[in-house]
Amino acid sequence: MTDLVRQAQQGDHAAFQSLYREHVGRVYALCLRLTADAREAEELTQDAFVRAWERLGSFRGESAFASWLYRLTVNVVFMSRRTTRRRAQRVFATEDPGALERPAEGREANPGLALDLERAVAALPPGAREIFVLYDVQGYGHAEIAELTGIAVGTSKAQLFRARRLLREMLES
Amino acid sequence: MTDHDTPPEFRELRERAARLPKSIEPPRDLWPGIETRIAGTLPGRRETGGPQGLLDGRGRRWALWLLLPLAAAAILAVVLLGRRGWGDRRGTWEVMRVAGLPLVGSSPLGATGALQVGQWLETDDSSRAVILVGDIGHVEVKPDTRIRLVRALRSDHRLALERGEIYAKVDAPPRLFFVDTPAGTAVDLGCAYTLAVDSSGNGTIHVTGGYVEFDWSGRRSIVPLGFRADTRRAFGPGTPYAEDAPQGMRQALAAFDFANGGAAAVRRALAAARSEDAVSLWHLLERVDPALRRDVYDRLAALVPPPTGVTREGALRLDRTMLQIYWNTIRRVAWRKAILQGIRDIDPRTGTAR
Repeated sequence: MTDLVRQAQQGDHAAFQSLYREHVGRVYALCLRLTADAREAEELTQDAFVRAWERLGSFRGESAFASWLYRLTVNVVFMSRRTTRRRAQRVFATEDPGALERPAEGREANPGLALDLERAVAALPPGAREIFVLYDVQGYGHAEIAELTGIAVGTSKAQLFRARRLLREMLES
Repeated sequence: MTDHDTPPEFRELRERAARLPKSIEPPRDLWPGIETRIAGTLPGRRETGGPQGLLDGRGRRWALWLLLPLAAAAILAVVLLGRRGWGDRRGTWEVMRVAGLPLVGSSPLGATGALQVGQWLETDDSSRAVILVGDIGHVEVKPDTRIRLVRALRSDHRLALERGEIYAKVDAPPRLFFVDTPAGTAVDLGCAYTLAVDSSGNGTIHVTGGYVEFDWSGRRSIVPLGFRADTRRAFGPGTPYAEDAPQGMRQALAAFDFANGGAAAVRRALAAARSEDAVSLWHLLERVDPALRRDVYDRLAALVPPPTGVTREGALRLDRTMLQIYWNTIRRVAWRKAILQGIRDIDPRTGTAR
């Protein structure tokens, strides 16, 4: 366990801010890829760090702090998806149904989504996108994904196959 | 996870995914918002006290105050989960009010409620609602709509739209979500779409994600992303057309599908067709008289060249395998054109980037 983590566990805000600076890029990248929505990714990144602060006492250094934090971030993203209120808000905001399915103008303006693959990932259906990001980008296994997201291992495999097939079709030239 | 788990055809994709930057800086500093939220608090220490800490003196009283609400919450969760499971078994879906006063059966819908199998949900000109389709998607119910829950099974999520308009978005394997209408059934193939039905039972389906199959009495249209199809009571689905199809093409298809336009209408459609309209021509192959089929095939082949494995003779005798191979090419071209709009310039004849 690093000194920064120990100091943060003692309530040292400056140490926690240093941890934030060190890890915010990876946490934001994860949230952005899972949601394909820059504004929501910002919100969830903040939620993840607040949750990390609240749970810091339970971190015993059995894994790297980074692994603990990214796993917690995935949990935050999926918990937020499960929240009916958020789901309803998302539903009600969908005046332009196509906006969810197409690589809309706003998405092109998303910071960091400069590569074809990033854009194609953002255009995937949500279920397929999440599994692709967790498996192929983050390197989680299907069993871990099942545990993190609450879906069956078979569903994770099926969604990964679907995502890869869709991406391959999108990226063919 | 190893490379052995990845089929060869996906290895390159996986390597590209692994090379994506692991870190992306947010467009603004998020720390001030976090700092505000954690100000004046200490990091949680839920597990650092250990069991002994909970058992002595003041700790025991703290433990009671902590455990009582937790126990109550746990009981409530069990009750709610139990009710939810009971509800699912009995065939109910959650429904939420968005605006106005939708009716479930004859009762006004509160903020949320349950729609049971056999029950109607009805909106007037100022009300809207959302139906959660089990755990696979949702349906937005627009004003002036009457819709009924027909089945709520894991293998058959089914609504009946009598009139009005819905927007459905489902993220699930194909053929789990169905919407019956007076002009046939919309079968979800993993998609998002708007479906409208007027008071005479006619309507339109507009697909904004994936594919929808629309069936009526053996007549079938497959409507991909970026396409529409008109539907008519007692006729079923018309030929799908691109949302940006030329007016002449739309009118010709409508005349052929629903107004006995015959060969003249088909010829007008062929004359107006672009490569982007290959989906429409592929559907026409099976629908026109054998004498006209040659013209349809030749125009289609000129607009989107047939892939290996498809011959003119085979297509003209409606060989199932060849038509399916041709369809796979046509749908892939249309899909790439739509999904990569604004990202890449896609050749509508081949689907490749220009």
